[in-house]
Amino acid sequence: MSTIIAETALRELVNTWMGQGKHVAGPTEVRDDVVLYQWLSRAEDLRIGGSPRPRNSIKEFVFPRHEKLYGYKLEGRKIELVETPLPETEQIVIAARPCDAAALPILDQVMNWDYRDVFYNRRRNLTTVVTLACQDHDAHCFCTAVGSGPDDERGSDAMLFNLGDGTYEVRCLTDKGKALFAGALQPSERVGEVGPGPEIRLDLDSIREFLNNEFQSPQWAAMTMRCIGCGACAYECPTCHCFDIADEKVGNTGARVRNWDTCQFAIFTAHASGHNPRSVQSQRQRQRIYHKFEVYPAKFGETLCTGCGNCSRVCPMGLGVLPVLVAMQGVEQVEPSEYV
Amino acid sequence: MIQRLQKTCRELLETGKVDVVIGYGQKHPELPPYPVFVTAPDEVGQLVWNAQCVMNLTTYLTRKEVKALGRPAIIVKGCDAKALIVLEKESQIDRSQIVVIGVACQGVIGGHPVDGQDPRAATAAKCKVCDVHMPPGVDITLGETDSGPVTAAWRYSDLDAFMDQTPEERMAFWQEEFERCIKCYACRQVCPLCYCEQCVVDKNRPTRVSTSASLKGNYAWHITRAFHLAGRCIGCDECTRACPAGIDLRLLNLSLARAAEENFGYRAGYDPQAEAVIGAFSEQDKESFIG
Repeated sequence: MSTIIAETALRELVNTWMGQGKHVAGPTEVRDDVVLYQWLSRAEDLRIGGSPRPRNSIKEFVFPRHEKLYGYKLEGRKIELVETPLPETEQIVIAARPCDAAALPILDQVMNWDYRDVFYNRRRNLTTVVTLACQDHDAHCFCTAVGSGPDDERGSDAMLFNLGDGTYEVRCLTDKGKALFAGALQPSERVGEVGPGPEIRLDLDSIREFLNNEFQSPQWAAMTMRCIGCGACAYECPTCHCFDIADEKVGNTGARVRNWDTCQFAIFTAHASGHNPRSVQSQRQRQRIYHKFEVYPAKFGETLCTGCGNCSRVCPMGLGVLPVLVAMQGVEQVEPSEYV
Repeated sequence: MIQRLQKTCRELLETGKVDVVIGYGQKHPELPPYPVFVTAPDEVGQLVWNAQCVMNLTTYLTRKEVKALGRPAIIVKGCDAKALIVLEKESQIDRSQIVVIGVACQGVIGGHPVDGQDPRAATAAKCKVCDVHMPPGVDITLGETDSGPVTAAWRYSDLDAFMDQTPEERMAFWQEEFERCIKCYACRQVCPLCYCEQCVVDKNRPTRVSTSASLKGNYAWHITRAFHLAGRCIGCDECTRACPAGIDLRLLNLSLARAAEENFGYRAGYDPQAEAVIGAFSEQDKESFIG
């Protein structure tokens, strides 16, 4: 016994949610080959057919790229702080990839282990995540190699399975998910399926061993020479979560803001003295791999990577996490038949 | 062609003329090529050249770790070769210390061809108006191709189509484009001519340009970037290709290129002898656009 919904009804439901004042985000086609998760203004813009593979991740909806923490006013020698009200609008992310949603419980740990980040937690609580089980993968996907998979339920409140005839099976996984679809689903005998996912396998233990033993290895430079030092990989990564704090002032008023930041930028570790402990790009690439496959696992017991492949898809020079890991392990990235 | 390329590079490495070849490697025809840095003659087998080799490798010539590999040979297409002319003009490279291998190019793939689509339909926008199919000013040329020059009108046809819109429509377009910017600076990092050791947006004592990926901060960045490339941008479109948000920076670059060409008769990357439009003063310079 399962529950299903027709795509037309699903789109109507999206319009209903928006009519209730909720914000809804999902994959949209910006142009020919650019699909991004964006806020929707109408349900027609939602791209759900096939397995949309947006270039960005859904972290933006709980951890915006730019966020005002509080404001301030200067009057002579007096400073008045102005609190930023916490968000109050419920939001729904629909047709998210399971590898995107799986990153949310990972981010939850970081945002709560020493300091409870009020902005993050508020947005997270206001968010319901509806994923679309993945029936397709490309040469950059490696979810199954890092403990995830095409129907990974972590972080999902409900999961859709494309039944192929304009109908979706809906599995409500949490109370939030049940509430969202209450009264909108039809009972059915049909059950959605996913394939086994990417075939590539990585030995995470041996990767950790390499990381622990080979910090100074000349291989780092060889493996990452083509990195040009942009932040595309980190910013489109569902799990990368570094930020910078800046003050933005206009006249006598200003705001303290939080902006995404990344270890791939040279300025990330620049000291006020002028010294930079990570003086070349390969050290910054090494840092990113270390954080994902050694530092985070040592602290929280899981990998800071869901194998979504966004980093490789957006890297202007065809790098990303997977090519580094395969170079480290000396295994082949892809068999021709695997490439979609 | 690939065999000749590999043979040439092997000779350069074996004779010690160069220490490293900056070229393209590819794991599988269905996966895009990627930059490789070949330092041993026995490794030249990984070098490839085909229409998927869209990356402009000249961006590596000014990078610390690549420079540390020693004297380079670099594989360039016609559009990439233009960057070398500007880099030399701006004293960023010593051309005599670089062996430039130019490959005849009939156009590279700009996007992902849709299933069943003619692959040529995915030819990069820059290639449709290319007039440097044979790379100029190189040391070694591989391959041959014929190609007629492109008229200026055709060169700027995409810009013309854009400029047919009202200023309000164009502003709305840029607002939508810039709203998607996440400030990953892929456009800057991939650019062979964005070689500043410290970019103005990274100056933080004090901050000159807002670091926020807000609409205001994004306008500030993109306009700063475009102006710094005015009269310098060689139109390789790498910024546009690299942008994960799909922002059409090409239109901005075209607008500046046309301003340089129409007002100063200058096209960046074509004439090694021509004085740089930004770096030179002439009494004949037009002043009508000032104030």
